[in-house]
Amino acid sequence: MASYYDIDDILVEEEIVSVIFQKAASGVGIDPSSETDFIEAGSKVELPFWLAHELQLRQAVSVNVPPCFNQKTRLEIQADCACVDLRSRCPYFYEFGCKIAPIVGDRTIGFLLLSAFKNRYKEVLTKAHTATIAVGSKFWTILTKEEINLYETAQSAMASFKKWRMGGARFQIASILGRKRKPTE
Amino acid sequence: MAGQSDHELSLFSAEELEFIAEDEIVDIVPNLKMDPLCLISGDFGPFTPQIVTQVPLWLAIALKKRGKCSICPPQWMTVEKLTQVLEVERDSQEMSEHLPFHYVEISRLLFDHARDNIPDAYMVRSLIEDIRDVRFHKVETDLEGFNGRTIAVKIKNLSAMEVNIVRPFIGRALQAFYKHDSSELIPDPERAPDRRPQVAHNAPRRQLRR
Amino acid sequence: MGSRSAEGEQVPLTDEYDALISTTDVELLKRAWRNEKAAPEILRFESDLIIRVREQIELMEETVEEKSTVGTDPLSVSLYQMDLDRTLFLLRSYLRIRIQKIEKYMFHIRKTEELWNRLSKDEKFFTERCTDDLKKHLEESVLSTLPENYQSYERQSVISEEVDMVPEPRLDTFVLCRSKEYLTGIQLEDGPVDDRSKLFEMEPDVLYFICYKSIKPLVESGKIDLL
Repeated sequence: MASYYDIDDILVEEEIVSVIFQKAASGVGIDPSSETDFIEAGSKVELPFWLAHELQLRQAVSVNVPPCFNQKTRLEIQADCACVDLRSRCPYFYEFGCKIAPIVGDRTIGFLLLSAFKNRYKEVLTKAHTATIAVGSKFWTILTKEEINLYETAQSAMASFKKWRMGGARFQIASILGRKRKPTE
Repeated sequence: MAGQSDHELSLFSAEELEFIAEDEIVDIVPNLKMDPLCLISGDFGPFTPQIVTQVPLWLAIALKKRGKCSICPPQWMTVEKLTQVLEVERDSQEMSEHLPFHYVEISRLLFDHARDNIPDAYMVRSLIEDIRDVRFHKVETDLEGFNGRTIAVKIKNLSAMEVNIVRPFIGRALQAFYKHDSSELIPDPERAPDRRPQVAHNAPRRQLRR
Repeated sequence: MGSRSAEGEQVPLTDEYDALISTTDVELLKRAWRNEKAAPEILRFESDLIIRVREQIELMEETVEEKSTVGTDPLSVSLYQMDLDRTLFLLRSYLRIRIQKIEKYMFHIRKTEELWNRLSKDEKFFTERCTDDLKKHLEESVLSTLPENYQSYERQSVISEEVDMVPEPRLDTFVLCRSKEYLTGIQLEDGPVDDRSKLFEMEPDVLYFICYKSIKPLVESGKIDLL
């Protein structure tokens, strides 16, 4: 797996999901609000995704759909996708969705992600290569990490092109005798 | 995106593109006499005053810098030809094929080092800028057509530098669509049966193969 | 394959042979460099090409040395030097890209025979030392302090089903490429079974953005160039 060392992946898995314990668990101090170390079967606890995932593999919990994919968000996305502040709901909206979909068995999440991305992608596209910082800054704050990556990729490509266009000689061509090395990239 | 490969490794900087473009052959008119050069990249010369010779662009610029030659601007780099190209570009959504692959890099190098060899240099330069702008807007329009079923994208008649600017963006966007529209996320029976590879940059869009 | 002057004789040639000798080593090196830069995984080391290029560079360095002591005009000496520098840049950049890829994916390369065979002798030596060093470092600094079932640098725990700690290059990245000839029957990887919709063709000299996985064998055989 390529993503063990990937920081974004690690952060995605830190997202909180709520789970329902199928079996009782003791000796674990997971729920800070409870007084004892004992968790009854059927109780609802908030856990980070990585832990919930492992427990679910062992059939100790069942995982609920996280709030960022709830009905309210879905309606907003359908209404005016490009303005929804996905970042405040979940900065890793897409990655998290991809991971959570098979776990909660919700088959509609995939569609949601795709249509959200498709629509917002158009916005990113129109702003990415050309907008200045001022115009782009407000837009920026509602983008998820993935969208920001896309945006910044385009911006930096454009910026380095412009820099090249402005600049003069890119580096000195060895015109002096005895100068053996050309400064490499 | 989590787990995506490091794009930095595969990025060509503008300078590297310029390096590649410098191997393009141009005509020069030397004003010195010199024996043929047997270089690793090939043999060039001999150089005789007033006799047009072909050399790679980097060599031409090196000679020009020392005042040993003048560079003949390429055929496409005249006010007439460029005005034509600009009109063609403005009239259609397709990219014209009249400009060489490295036109951006070549024109910039010549402006920097051989401006006095280009008649109406200022006009030529501004025409090229306009052409670039028009073409770039077309690229942006074409990019809007991406959706999940884009498996391959055909790029017609884009120049090296233009492609290089949008390449990282396109790569990432395609990657994201590919990831989100995978069969794991979207169960088969509900998927739109539109699995044909999408084509962009070539209006009107057509399917490559059924 | 030396410089063009060696092939000046008038000999009836087939098209292919013609194309072959009219491509200088520098062109081939440039192509290898571009392919290597654009590909997500490490490609086969062009050992013959590199040997020839190195020879030509050494020869040229001697020539330049000689010319400058003999007192040939500084202009032509500096032009020779420039050409030399350009070739050196390509060579160094080519080697450097490969090293960067090795550094990124060293464990994976060491374990995968197909990739291991693509390295040069020096690169193999480098990889071995790197992997040994990194492994040692991980073990000494972190892994040995973990409970016994979690001490591997490859698997998160003894019960992991697969090797899940080793970074691998992503072969499904999209790359920009171009073919010299008309190619048909390219299978685009896309999950479900419908063959008809997956076959793809490429026109010559037109740029395409395609998933690297789909064209991997064609890149290896030299039919497609990456940009």
